[in-house]
Amino acid sequence: MAARAALDHTEPTSCKPLTSVKRLPNLMELSATSELERATRPDVAALAGDFEALVRLYRPKVFRFALASLRDLDAAETVTQDCFLRAYQALDRFRQESSLQTWLMQIAVNLVRDHVRNRRFQFWRRASLTARPVDVASHGMADRALSPEAQALLNEQVAAIWDAASKLPERQRTVFLLRFVEDMDLLEIAFATGMKEGTVKTHLFRALRAVRERLGGTV
Amino acid sequence: MNHPPLKHLCSEQIAECVLGLPDPVARRHLEDCAACRAELAKFREALGEFRGAVRGWSENQARELSISARPSESRSWIAAHQLALALLLAAVCIVASIAVPWYERDRSGAVNDAALLNQVDSEVSRTAPSSMEPLMKLVVETGADVGKQE
Repeated sequence: MAARAALDHTEPTSCKPLTSVKRLPNLMELSATSELERATRPDVAALAGDFEALVRLYRPKVFRFALASLRDLDAAETVTQDCFLRAYQALDRFRQESSLQTWLMQIAVNLVRDHVRNRRFQFWRRASLTARPVDVASHGMADRALSPEAQALLNEQVAAIWDAASKLPERQRTVFLLRFVEDMDLLEIAFATGMKEGTVKTHLFRALRAVRERLGGTV
Repeated sequence: MNHPPLKHLCSEQIAECVLGLPDPVARRHLEDCAACRAELAKFREALGEFRGAVRGWSENQARELSISARPSESRSWIAAHQLALALLLAAVCIVASIAVPWYERDRSGAVNDAALLNQVDSEVSRTAPSSMEPLMKLVVETGADVGKQE
């Protein structure tokens, strides 16, 4: 119940962070970067006791990956909730072979894969999101004082990469998003996807080639 | 004059450079070739913009989701309470529909039992069976007449 309540909270309440910090002082100070996290591996028992803090810390990342992969707001939200629910249920089985973030991304990757496979048979499924991350100006980059032409060019490039990513095979898209949106390194991607490092590299090369072709590589 | 053919980095080498894993040949070539350097920089910049755009877009979507989720949360809370109330009423109705006829049947059964017992009592307390009652009356009356004559 506590886990479900934690998952349902998208915004922290004013007093909850205080109790969280009291119970688990290191967790809130952890950055999402895996190096820092590896250095301060959180105690599983402490995590179970303060699962809400864990959700607050990693929810944006899991949601972003699910949204970019599925391009469906409701599906991304469902996958995110399922991811943390499964993590809560399996917390005692977390053996700290990877960082917590990579472990959560592994769960998310599996859920997204399952969702995509189930969706193949849903011929009645509606068209997904109408919005696309193509409007660079509306996503916090307007402050860079770009000329309208430069802005348009950037928007065009982002749209081209977005379209190219949507046409990639599932595995290529997954490794592409994990690498170029989530900034995960090859080993982390290998752990999260269950592939060998060499396989991840091959998928990334293919994905990059497809994206570059879509961008119209000149050289 | 014979110029050597212009050779640039292939897709795989560009990908290796983007991933930060360039081989020594590619690294050396990049030092000399402005076109490849520019191409690589352009590609990296585009990927960086893509990252930023997806992150910003995701944050916006999450914000919209939390805004739209709030009223629906309260709505769902109200709906849950209404549902609970409806279920409670339905349960009361079901219990009543079972219990009332049961009670009525029980009560009418008790009344019937009492009537039967009364009937048995009256039957048992009779000196003669009901079919013999006219004869008994006649005997009593005849006996009275005999007494008068004597």
